[in-house]
Amino acid sequence: MDAILELQGVSMSFGGLKAVDNLSFTINENEIVSIIGPNGSGKTTTFNVISGLYEPDSGEILLKGESVAGLRPDAVHDKGISRTFQSLRLFSNMSVLDNVLVGMHSVTDSGVLASMLRLPKVRREEQAMRERAQEILEMFPGRFSGPRQQQPAFSLSYANRRRLEIARALASDPTLLMLDEPVAGMNPMESHEVMEQIKILRDKGYTIVMIEHDMHVVEGVSDRVIAMDHGVKIAEGTYHEVANDPQVVEAYLGKRAAEATA
Amino acid sequence: MSLDHIVSVTIGGLTVGMIYALIALGYTMVYGVLKFINFAHGEVFTIGGYVAAFTLLGLGVNDDMSPLVLAGCVVLALLAAVLVPMAIGFLIERIAYRPLRGRSRIIPLLSAIGVSIVMQQLIILVFGPAPVSMPSLAVGSASFVVFGIRIRVLALVIIAVSSALMLGLTYLVKSTRIGKAMRATSQDMEAAEMMGIDTNKTIAFTFVVGSALAGIGGFLVVMYYGSLKYDAGFLYGLKAFTSAVLGGIGNIPGAVVGAIVLGMTETYGVSLDLGFMAWFVVAGLILGLYVQMVRVPRRRLQHIADDRRTPAYEKSITDVYRLTPYYGFKTLLAERTDALLSVSAAHAVRLMFGNLFLAVVAAVMFANASVRIDTRWQPVIAFVVLMVILMFRPSGILGEAITEKV
Repeated sequence: MDAILELQGVSMSFGGLKAVDNLSFTINENEIVSIIGPNGSGKTTTFNVISGLYEPDSGEILLKGESVAGLRPDAVHDKGISRTFQSLRLFSNMSVLDNVLVGMHSVTDSGVLASMLRLPKVRREEQAMRERAQEILEMFPGRFSGPRQQQPAFSLSYANRRRLEIARALASDPTLLMLDEPVAGMNPMESHEVMEQIKILRDKGYTIVMIEHDMHVVEGVSDRVIAMDHGVKIAEGTYHEVANDPQVVEAYLGKRAAEATA
Repeated sequence: MSLDHIVSVTIGGLTVGMIYALIALGYTMVYGVLKFINFAHGEVFTIGGYVAAFTLLGLGVNDDMSPLVLAGCVVLALLAAVLVPMAIGFLIERIAYRPLRGRSRIIPLLSAIGVSIVMQQLIILVFGPAPVSMPSLAVGSASFVVFGIRIRVLALVIIAVSSALMLGLTYLVKSTRIGKAMRATSQDMEAAEMMGIDTNKTIAFTFVVGSALAGIGGFLVVMYYGSLKYDAGFLYGLKAFTSAVLGGIGNIPGAVVGAIVLGMTETYGVSLDLGFMAWFVVAGLILGLYVQMVRVPRRRLQHIADDRRTPAYEKSITDVYRLTPYYGFKTLLAERTDALLSVSAAHAVRLMFGNLFLAVVAAVMFANASVRIDTRWQPVIAFVVLMVILMFRPSGILGEAITEKV
C-alpha cells in the first residue's frame, strides 16, 4: 500500500494558541481514516492546513511524496485534494448541476475566447463534463434526479445539501477526499445511508480521510482511527483500539471516568 | 407633445441609458465579486474615449477616405479603446486593490478614490487638459427619416452594440467555465479557492471585462457627442454607479435595467414640458388617495373586533368622507378615533396636507404648462429618481445580489 498523504510534524498556531502541535500521520491508498476528538482539538484546523487555507508554521505535508505545504488552496486542489465543509459551503444561488461543474474547474481548461465562440473542442469538453456530473449525481440515487438538477442549491433539504457537497468534492476525481463531518445534523437513517455511500466510494478506489463525531459511522467505515486532543495526536489504530485507549476516554469523559474504566 | 417627439426622446434616452449600462456593468460585476465599489471605473471609461479619439486623429481620418479604409480605422480605434482600458483595469486591480484585499472595506474604497484622482491627472499629462475633439465624419452625424422622425444612425448602432455586448456578457457569466468561476467566487471566495478556482485570476478577469465594456462605452460616447473632457469619467461614472445601485448592485441584469430607467428619466425630464409631467403628479395623487381611502383602512379593519365590523361600518371608514375637512375636524376633536383606527389625528392631518401639496404642485405645473426643465438639472433628476426608488425599494429595482445564507 502506497502512502497518499503524509503529515510530518505539522504545527499551526494562532497567536499563543497551538491549534495543531507536531502532528504526524499517514493515509494509505484506498483507505478510510477517521479523525476524532473533542471540540477544539484541532481536527478542522488540520483539514484547513492540508487544503491550503493556512500555511503550517512548521512541518511537511506530502501528497504522493510531493510537498503541498504552503501552496494556495486552488493549487492544492489541482494536486488532487478535495474536501467538504463542516458548515455547508455550497454556492447556494447556483444550480445543483453548476455546483458540481464548478467542482470540475481544475480538470477543465477551455479558455474564455474558445468558450465564447463555442468551438467544437469546448462543446465536446462541456458534453463530457455534463455526463461526468450526471454520473456523480447518480451516485446518490433519486436525490438529484431530473429537474432537481436545475434548482438552486439553497432549495435543497439539509441532507441533500450535504450530499451535494460530497458530489462537488468528487467532481474533480480527487486523489484524496476529505470529509468534514459528513453526517452532522442527519438523522440515524440518513447517516447510515451516507455511511454506505462512503463505503461504496472506497470500493471505487477513493482514499478518504474524514472528521466525524458519530461513533456509529466511525466504527462502521473506518479502516483506521486517529484521535486528537489539544492539537496533539493521542491515539491511532483500529476503532476498538482507539475507543478503549485510556487517553481517548479521558479526553472525552474526563480523568475520573478514565480511571474508572481502567 | 407629439408622437414623433416621444419616439425621438425615447431613442435618445435609450442611447444614453445603454452607455450608462456599459459602464454600470463594470461597477456591478466588481461589486458582485469583491463587495467593493471601484470608483476609478469612470476614469477607465474616459481613457477608452480618449484613446479612440486619438487613434482616429492620429490616423488622420476624413470623409475623403474610401469607406473600407475608414471602417478599418474605426475598427483599429475600437480595438485600442478596448485593449488599453483592459490593461489599465488589470493594473489598477493588481497595484491598488489586490494588496489591500481582505482589509476593512473602507480601505480599498479610499484607494479607489485615490486611483481615480491619479488617473485624471494622468489623462491630463498624456493627452493634455483640453477636451479631445473627434474629426467630424459624415458617418458620425448620418441620420435617416422614418415616418417623419429623424433618427441618428449612431444612436441605433449604440443600442445594437450595447445589447449584443450585454447578451454576450450574460452568456459568459451563465454558461462558460470562467463565468461559473466568477459566480462561485462572488458567493464564497474561500470555498471557491478550495474547489480549485484561482480567485486572483478570476478577479483580475472581472476587472478586465468590466474595463473593456467601459472602454467601448468611451469609444461610443466620443463618436456620438464628438468630444470628451478629462473629467467626463466623474459624472458618467457617478451616473453609471447610480444605475447599478438603482437596479440592485451586484445584479447584472439590474445594472442594465437601472441604466435604462435612469437614461429615460433624465432624457424625458428635460424634454417634456411641465404640462405633460403634471399628469404624473395627478396620477400620483389619485393613487395616493386610493391607498389612503381603501387599502389602508381595509388593512386596519383587521384589528377591529368582529361584532363591530358591520358592512355599514366598513363602508363608513373607507368612504371619501374620510378626506373631507369635516372629517379632519372631527378627528382633531377625537370624536371618531375608532373610525380612524390606528391612524392618529396628526397622521390624518399630515395626509391631508400631503394631498393638498400634490394638488397645488399639479396646479402650478399646469399653469406653467409650456415651461421645460433646464438641461443643467439633468443630474438632479437622476439623483431624485435614485432617492425615490431607494426609499421604496432599498435593494434596487431587481434586488441586490444577495447570497442566501443557509
